Amino acid sequence: MAITNPPPLLHFLLISLLISLSHSSSDPLSELKSLRSTSDSSTIHLSDSLFRRILSHHPRTFSLLVFFDATQLHNKPELQLQSLKSEFKLVSKSFFENNQNNPDALSKLFFGVIEFGESQSTFAQFGVNSLPHIRLVGPTDKDMKSEPVKMDAGDYSRLADSMAEFVESRTNVVVGDIVRPPIVSRKQMGVIVLGVLIMLPFLIKRVIVGDTMLHDWKVWLAGAVFVYFFSVSGAMFNIIRKMPMVIPDRNDPNKLVFFYQGSGMQLGAEGFTIGFLYTIVGLLLALMTHVLVRVRSVNAQRLVMIVALFVSFLAVNRVVLLDNWKTGYGIHGYWPSSWN
Amino acid sequence: MEDSSLRYAFGNVLCFFILLLIGLLAFSIRLFSVIKYESVIHEFDPYFNYRVTQFLTKNGIYDFWNWFDDRTWYPLGRVIGGTVYPGLTLTAGTLWWILNSLNIPLSVETVCVFTAPIFSAFAAWATYYLTKEVKGTGAGLAAAALLAMVPSYISRSVAGSYDNEAVAIFALIFTFYLYVKTLNTGSLFYATLNAIAYFYMVCSWGGYTFIINLIPMHALLCIVTGRYSSQLYIAYCPLVVLGTLLAALVPVVGFNAVLTSEHFASFLVFIIIHVVALAYYIKGILSPKMFKVAVTLVVSVGLVVCCAVVAVLVALVASSPTKGWSGRSLSLLDPTYASKYIPIIASVSEHQPPTWPSYFMDINVLAFLVPAGIVACFLPLSDASSFVILYIVTSVYFSGVMVRLMLVLAPAACIMSGIALSEAFTVFTRSIKFQFPGISQSHQIDAGDTSSEPSGDVIQNVVKTDKIDEPVKEWPSRRNKKKEKENVEKTSKPSIKSKIEKRLMVLPLETSIISLCLLVLLGAFYVIHCVWAAAEAYSAPSIVLTSHTPGGLHVFDDFREAYAWLSHNTDVDDKVASWWDYGYQTTAMANRTVIVDNNTWNNTHIATVGTAMSSPEKAAWEIFNSLDVKYVLVVFGGLVGYPSDDINKFLWMVRIGGGVFPHIKEPDYLRDGQYRIDSEATPTMLNCLMYKLSYYRFVETDGGKGFDRVRRTEIGKKYFKLTHFEEVFTTHHWMVRIYKLKSPRNRIRSKTKKSKSKSSSSTNLKRSGTRKKNPWH
Repeated sequence: MAITNPPPLLHFLLISLLISLSHSSSDPLSELKSLRSTSDSSTIHLSDSLFRRILSHHPRTFSLLVFFDATQLHNKPELQLQSLKSEFKLVSKSFFENNQNNPDALSKLFFGVIEFGESQSTFAQFGVNSLPHIRLVGPTDKDMKSEPVKMDAGDYSRLADSMAEFVESRTNVVVGDIVRPPIVSRKQMGVIVLGVLIMLPFLIKRVIVGDTMLHDWKVWLAGAVFVYFFSVSGAMFNIIRKMPMVIPDRNDPNKLVFFYQGSGMQLGAEGFTIGFLYTIVGLLLALMTHVLVRVRSVNAQRLVMIVALFVSFLAVNRVVLLDNWKTGYGIHGYWPSSWN
Repeated sequence: MEDSSLRYAFGNVLCFFILLLIGLLAFSIRLFSVIKYESVIHEFDPYFNYRVTQFLTKNGIYDFWNWFDDRTWYPLGRVIGGTVYPGLTLTAGTLWWILNSLNIPLSVETVCVFTAPIFSAFAAWATYYLTKEVKGTGAGLAAAALLAMVPSYISRSVAGSYDNEAVAIFALIFTFYLYVKTLNTGSLFYATLNAIAYFYMVCSWGGYTFIINLIPMHALLCIVTGRYSSQLYIAYCPLVVLGTLLAALVPVVGFNAVLTSEHFASFLVFIIIHVVALAYYIKGILSPKMFKVAVTLVVSVGLVVCCAVVAVLVALVASSPTKGWSGRSLSLLDPTYASKYIPIIASVSEHQPPTWPSYFMDINVLAFLVPAGIVACFLPLSDASSFVILYIVTSVYFSGVMVRLMLVLAPAACIMSGIALSEAFTVFTRSIKFQFPGISQSHQIDAGDTSSEPSGDVIQNVVKTDKIDEPVKEWPSRRNKKKEKENVEKTSKPSIKSKIEKRLMVLPLETSIISLCLLVLLGAFYVIHCVWAAAEAYSAPSIVLTSHTPGGLHVFDDFREAYAWLSHNTDVDDKVASWWDYGYQTTAMANRTVIVDNNTWNNTHIATVGTAMSSPEKAAWEIFNSLDVKYVLVVFGGLVGYPSDDINKFLWMVRIGGGVFPHIKEPDYLRDGQYRIDSEATPTMLNCLMYKLSYYRFVETDGGKGFDRVRRTEIGKKYFKLTHFEEVFTTHHWMVRIYKLKSPRNRIRSKTKKSKSKSSSSTNLKRSGTRKKNPWH
C-alpha cells in the first residue's frame, strides 16, 4: 500500500528532479528568457553552472554578449567598470524594449554579466586576465578562449552607442535607439515645476521692483569672466571629446600626465590651468587700473603691484613656453641677419 | 579756450594719420602670400567665388542672378544666383568695374586677390569707430591697431583668400558700430544706415544670424535690467523691420528671414520692446494709482495671449524635423549635435572645437587682456559697453564650440583688449606724468599733502586728458550731457573734489614704469607673433606648396599642373569625379564638369561618390559610369609627404558613403579599430578604388619598397593591375593622379568574364534585397 502510493512529498521531489534533469538537457533558451524577464535591466546574471549548461549545447540558436565584472575592482576609477556596466545594461534594456514586438530577434541575443568572485572558472575558461572585457559568444563558438569576439576599447569608447553598433555589426539583430533614463524623474520634475510656480509671483514682483541678482552688475561681471574662462580653457573640447582630466603615464604607471604634447588634443586639467592663467593676468591688470588707484596707502599699492606684475609676468611666460612646447612652433621675429 | 581747440584739432589730425597708418598696416601685413608665392587665389572656396565674379563681370548682374550652372553637381546642376551669398562677388565686381571705368585695367583675378586686404583696412577703421563709441578715441585707436594684425582675422583675409569672411567681418563690425551709434545718439539716420549695413552683411555671409540674435539679446538684456530708453527703441525696431525686409530680398535667404527659428528671437524681442514701450508711455500719462490698476489688467490679459502665442510657436517649430534650426546653428547650441548626426559638418576641420593653443595662436596675448577689458566695460556700465560685453561673451562661447568662429571672436577680443590697454596706459602714464621728479607738484601729490594749495593745474590737466579720451559727438546724447555736467561740477567745486581726484588717479611711480615697460613688451610680443603668423602660418595658398630643404626652396605646383592637363587634354564636356574638396578648383581652373563640389548641399550625391571611392573597382566603375564620369582625379601625398591627401580623408568618404548606402561599413576598413594601409590592412581596404588609384604603380618610385611618407609605412599591396580604369596623367610629384574609365570593350577580358558572372548574380541579389547601392540605377 505504502509502496504503491508514495507520499506526496517524494512525488514532488521526483518530479522536480525530473524537471531539473530535463532542464539541463534541453535548450537553455527558455531559462534564459525567464531569467531575462525577471531582471530589472533585462541582463542575465551568469554563474559558472549556468554557463556550463549554456555551453553544453552546440550549436546554439542565440548569441550571448558577456560582460566580465569584478566587484573588487569597482573602486578603481581608471577601469570605469561601473559606468561601463551601467552602459552595458542600458544597451541590453534598449534592445529588450525596442524588440518587444519581435520575439524572433529577442531570442537571438542575450546580455549577461558574470562576476569574478563568484565564477572564477568561467573567467579562466575565457582566458580573461584584464578588465574591462566584453565578449560576444556566437552560436557556433566552441573554444571559449579564442573564438568569441572581443569588444575593442574603440567599441565602447562612445559607451552605449558604440556598443550597440558593435552588436549590430556582429549579429544580425537591431538594437535600435538607446533609451536613456531621463536625468530627472517625473516626480522630481513635478516638484521642480511646483517650486517654480510658487516662486514665480515673488520673482515677478522683484523683477518689477528691480531688485534681483540680474540687477547687480557684479553678478554679470562674474558670469562674463567665467564664460570667458570656460571657453578659452577649451572646456567645450573636453566635453565634446569626453577628454579625461589626466591620463596615466605610459612609461611609468604611477605617474600622471597633466599636459599632452601635440596641439590637436588637450587634457581637462591642462585646459583649466591655462584658462586660469589666461584669465588671471587680465583680472590683475583690471585690479591695478581700477581698484588699486583708489587705495590710499602708497605702500600697499606698491606691494600689490609688484606681486601682480610678478604673477602676470610668470603667467604669460608660462603660457608662451607651454605653447611653444605643445605646438612645436618656433615663433621668431624677423631681425636683420647681421644681428645674429 | 583757444588752446584747447587747437589741441583738439591737433589730436584729430594725429588720430587721422594714425588711422591711415593702421589701414596701411592692415593691408600690407596681408601681402606676405603675394610676396612669398605669387598673386594667386587660395584654397578651395575662393576659386568658386572667383569663377562667379568672372561670370558677373562678363555677363552682367541679371545673368548672374539667373545663372544655372551645369558644370557642377552633374547631372543635377546648381542654381548659383539663388544659392550664393552675393555680397563678396558684387563687391569685387563693383571694384573691378570702378577701376576699369577709371581706365585702370586690372584683371578680375587681381581685384579678387586684393579685396580681402582692402576690407581688412576698412574693418580696422570700423573697429576704431565702434570702440570709440564705447570707450573713447584712445581705446578706439588701440583696438583698431590690434585688429589690423590679429592672426585669426589674417588667416581668413590674406591676399588671395577671396572668401565671404573677407568682407563679412567688416560688415559685422560696421553693423555693430551703427547699432551702438544709434544707441548713443537715438538718431533715425543711423538706424537706417544700420539696417543697410545689416543688409550688406546678409548679402555677404551666413554669419549674419549672429547679428540678428546678438542685437535682440542685447535689447532684451537692457529691458530686463531696467535700461529701456527711447534710444534703444530707435536702435532696435527699424533694424528689425527694415533689416528683415531687406534680408528677404537676398535670394539665398528669402523667406527664411521670417520662417526659420534663427530669426524668431528678433521678432519675440520686437513684441516685447513694444509692450515695454507701451507700458512706459502709459506710465507717463497715468497717475501712479491708475497705472497699478492698468498693470494688473494688462498682465492678466497679456499672460493669456502670451501663452497662446508661445504654444503656437512651439507647435510650429516642433513640426519641422530639425526644430526649424539649421544643422550648423544647432551644433552651436548643443555642441555634441554635429558629431552625432551630421558627419558632413563634423568632417570639416574648421568645425572642430578648439583647444587652448588655438586661442594662443589666433588671438595671442589678447587672451590675457580681454578680462581686463570686460572689467573696464563694467566700470561704468553703459548701453554701448554692455553691448560689447555681450558680444565678447557670446562669441567666446561660440568659438569654444567651433574653431571657425574664432573669426567672430577676434574683433571682440581686439575691442576688449584695446579698451584694457588704453585704460592701463592712461593710468600708468598719468601716474608717471604727475609724479615724475621734473614736475614740481608731484611730490605734494605723492605724499598726499592736503595742507598745500590744491594744484589746479594738475586737475585741469586731468580733466582735459579725460575729455580728449571722450568721444567727440555732433549730437551728444543725454548721458554725455550728464557727464559734461559732472565735469563742470567737478571744476566748479575744486576744493573737495581735487583731493579725491589726486588720490584716485595715481599709482606709485616706479611700479608704474615697470608695468608700462611690461605692457609695451607684451605689445611687442604680439606684433612679433602676428607678423610671424602672417608670414609663416597663414600665407600658404595651398594650391602651390613649398618646402624648405637643405638644397633650398622646393615648389610643388602639382595641382595647377593637373588642372591645366585636364583643360588641355580632355573634351570640354567631360565629367571629372573627385572628392568634393577639389570640385571648386576643377570647375574654376580646368573648366570641366564635376560631380560634387565644396558646396555640400546634396549629401546623397556626395555619399554616392564616397561609396564609389570605397567600393572595389568593378562596382566603382559602374557607379561612375552611370554618372557619365570619364575621369577620376585623386590627390595622393604619399610620395612627397603631403598629409591632407585623399587617403587621409578616406575614412570620411566611407562614413559619409555608409550613411546613405549601408553596405559600406566603416569597421570593414579598420583593423582592430585602426586605420592602416600596410600589410595589416583589411582586404576591403586594399581592394577599394581609393587605395588602388592612389597606390597604382607607386612601388616603382622607390625600387620595390612602396614606402608611404605620410603614413610612414610600407603599403600593403604593392603589385596590382587596374581592370576598369587606366592611368592617363600623374603630376610631377605624384600629388594628383588622373585616371580614365575604360570603355566596356577595353577592359581586361578574363577579368570581365569573371566579374560578369559575378555581376549577374549580384544583380539578382540586388533585386531581391532592399538595400540601395546606387541611386542612378
